Amino acid sequence: MEKENRLTLGWWIIGIGGVIFLLVPLFVRNPYLLHIFILIFYFAYLGTAWGLISMAGQLSLGHAALIGIGGYTSTLMFMEWGVTPWAGMFVGAAICGIVGVIIGYPAFRLKGPYFALTSIAFAEILRIYVENTEEGPFGIPLKAAMGLLIPLKGQAPEVFQFQEKEPYYYIAFAMMCIAILINYTITRRKFGFYLMAIRSDQDAGESLGINSTRYKLMAMALSCVLTAIGGTFYAQYFRYINPERAMGLGMSIEIALVGVVGGWQTVLGPTIGSILLSPSGELVRAYFGGTYAGLHLFLYGLLLMVVILFLPNGLNDPIRRALKRLEARIRRPAVLTAQPNAPTKDSG
Amino acid sequence: MSLLQVEKINKNFGGLVAVRDFSLSVEKGEIVGLIGPNGAGKTTVFNMIAHFYPPDSGRIFYEGKDLTGMKPYEICQLGIARTFQVTKPFVNNTVLENVMVGAFSRTNDPREAQSKSLAVLRKVDFFAQRNLLAGELTTVDHKRLELARALATEPKLLLLDEVMAGLTPSEKVQLLGLLRSIRDEGITLIVVEHDMKAVMTLCERIVLMHRGEKLVEGTPQQVSSNPQAIAAYLGEEYGTT
Amino acid sequence: MDFEFIELLISSFVMGLLLGGLYAAVAVGLSLIFGIIRVINFAHGAFLMLAMYTGFWLWYFFGMSPYLSLLIIAPLFFFFGYIVQDLIIKPMFVREKALVVEPLGVLLLMAGFDLVLSNLALLFFKSDFRSIISPFASATISLGFTSINVSRFIVFLLAFAITGFLYWLLNRTEIGIAIRSVGQNREAAALCGVNVYQIYAFTFGIGTASVAIAGGAIVPFYYVNPAMGLPLAVKSFIVVVLGGLGSIPGALLGGLILGVVESITAPFVTATSSAIFSFLLFIIVLFIRPKGLMGVLEA
Repeated sequence: MEKENRLTLGWWIIGIGGVIFLLVPLFVRNPYLLHIFILIFYFAYLGTAWGLISMAGQLSLGHAALIGIGGYTSTLMFMEWGVTPWAGMFVGAAICGIVGVIIGYPAFRLKGPYFALTSIAFAEILRIYVENTEEGPFGIPLKAAMGLLIPLKGQAPEVFQFQEKEPYYYIAFAMMCIAILINYTITRRKFGFYLMAIRSDQDAGESLGINSTRYKLMAMALSCVLTAIGGTFYAQYFRYINPERAMGLGMSIEIALVGVVGGWQTVLGPTIGSILLSPSGELVRAYFGGTYAGLHLFLYGLLLMVVILFLPNGLNDPIRRALKRLEARIRRPAVLTAQPNAPTKDSG
Repeated sequence: MSLLQVEKINKNFGGLVAVRDFSLSVEKGEIVGLIGPNGAGKTTVFNMIAHFYPPDSGRIFYEGKDLTGMKPYEICQLGIARTFQVTKPFVNNTVLENVMVGAFSRTNDPREAQSKSLAVLRKVDFFAQRNLLAGELTTVDHKRLELARALATEPKLLLLDEVMAGLTPSEKVQLLGLLRSIRDEGITLIVVEHDMKAVMTLCERIVLMHRGEKLVEGTPQQVSSNPQAIAAYLGEEYGTT
Repeated sequence: MDFEFIELLISSFVMGLLLGGLYAAVAVGLSLIFGIIRVINFAHGAFLMLAMYTGFWLWYFFGMSPYLSLLIIAPLFFFFGYIVQDLIIKPMFVREKALVVEPLGVLLLMAGFDLVLSNLALLFFKSDFRSIISPFASATISLGFTSINVSRFIVFLLAFAITGFLYWLLNRTEIGIAIRSVGQNREAAALCGVNVYQIYAFTFGIGTASVAIAGGAIVPFYYVNPAMGLPLAVKSFIVVVLGGLGSIPGALLGGLILGVVESITAPFVTATSSAIFSFLLFIIVLFIRPKGLMGVLEA
């Protein structure tokens, strides 16, 4: 597809970066460093999944609820019935897909900020419910604010548990790559074009044959399914899931933030955002989290405001521009520096 | 059976009557002009035919089918395409991508959509600009983009809302030729325009609206010699033709 | 059983009205802001929470009665809201070179602001639950078989007072006419010489002052805590959708209805489950009548 900014340099960087990421665990043994990488991949994954609904022009500030549903579903199925989280993951994903469609449908038919409101309301109410409920319907032990502790089984790959960080590293990396691939494929196909049209000008899109509600629902379903799977990963990696952390507004905003900082309606934006934010956020939380509870969320909120006010398209634009300049300089230094009558330099 | 049959449609906006008892019949292959002073209700009629909003009363038939209750995208699927008077380009995308959105209404394959779009762009003489960002085009080029996008949906009936606005005389002549060739390919046109000369040259039949109602209908000669029409709109220039 | 059941129903209904008054008082400002400026203030909960803290600290340091402190809270938060709109939100409008702004950007901006304010409060005030001691908190008025809490009743009255004040402001003052004109058609108002940004700032200030008054008034019977803002804000979102985005009497009505629905269902399910009914009501309204009960704006 012709696009005037096809970044071959960008592809190289992505490729090299991918290879580097694959090799890191071979050289890096420090579990804490690996943990940081896992966070980067994990939030890149969540941000990219969230980005699917952003591509339809809808802002969700309640995606944490999906993490909660996904994580709680697979964990409860494991705790109560011994179902491996690998399978429970899909059940949670299916539930979230359906929930997302039901929640989104009323708002998607309308124009206005209704979906954003719905997402916040849904997430908050669900969180409050879980936080205050020891036993849910059918006697499901939700354990209220205490949350769920994953029963430790040591090294048990069949139930999605590992002693070392490496397997989690690769799983998170694979998830991130898959999510990016999904987003990328979508943008090249009719689905992606339609989502772009809907968020750009829904009326124009409808006059060109787009059933905007239907496509928003499709994007929502996919976004929810992927996010729910992220919830299972959360439960299995942190081995603990509770309403306040996993389902709170802070988490929803963290997910939105990586997308916004990196470029919230682009394929790689959330990944870029996560590379930037996850390490710093984790460091702030580690060093200050005890004495200054809330500092890292404060900084996130501030960062969100700053980005919206000054860099609304996130870092994606500046990075693209810098890459273009870099690419031009690498490929044709003669063109850049040549004067009409001056001798041209040999390209390096 | 007429291609389009509009029967006594009405539209009220909070007490303001925009369109009153408007009826129109369009045959396949016609070029019909819809003229009238600003505020006469022309765009409102277009919006109702395209079901951007429904008529308050009255019915619209297309190929014999009652369009009541349909959504704009269903109308497009049936073969009615429209451009907007205030253009609505997808600003963050290239011209080609814009047109491809239209092409995707008839195919699911990106390659097919692309080749169809390139063909449309060639036809409207916009091929060279295909990789420009829509947001960077002039308003006049926005109109051409709207036309290309609408054509990409392979319509049978095309509603053009002031697609000539802002063109130089020679550009208008070009566009008139293009519109005629579009009609020759079997697409029926309803055109809203303010340029009287262009409308009189292009259209075989003209409908004059005034204050929401159809005032006069007929061939260009009939309309331009109609005293009511002259009084309402056309002015001295055409009074004696 | 029947007579007790009816008694229960009626006292739940009365409690619901009081609760609804609270919701309405909180939501009215939000409705005003959306109706005129067309932005949803996602930091609404944080503003409420800050007003609550203000009322608390005024009592803690100066022994000021919560209702007296409203005299300070209202103007203070009016200015706060004015500045927020002018300094933080206006640049978004200016950047878009339009008088109407891309809504999602402002949503995110205010969501970030909510995080900033809530966590500033958390950092400075810690997460302890505070409460004041006030004679109003425990005083009750007897209504036959049931009695109502005076401080809650005052909030209920305040909801009507705020609504009435806004009605007077919007319909009987010059600035109110300017505000309404901006709400109906920004461009036209600007062409008539109205300074739209100033009106925006003024309106945002009034809306903030409204929710601040509500915040100060609920301190007698509500725990003060950095996290208290969000749940009430979520309720107010539901209320404004229920009542119709942009309609102030709608917010009042919507709040009362929501309060009644929650209170009547509460005896039969747990308190948190009744919040689920609120959400269901929200979804149902969005589905059946998105304009809300008294909606004036097209969805």
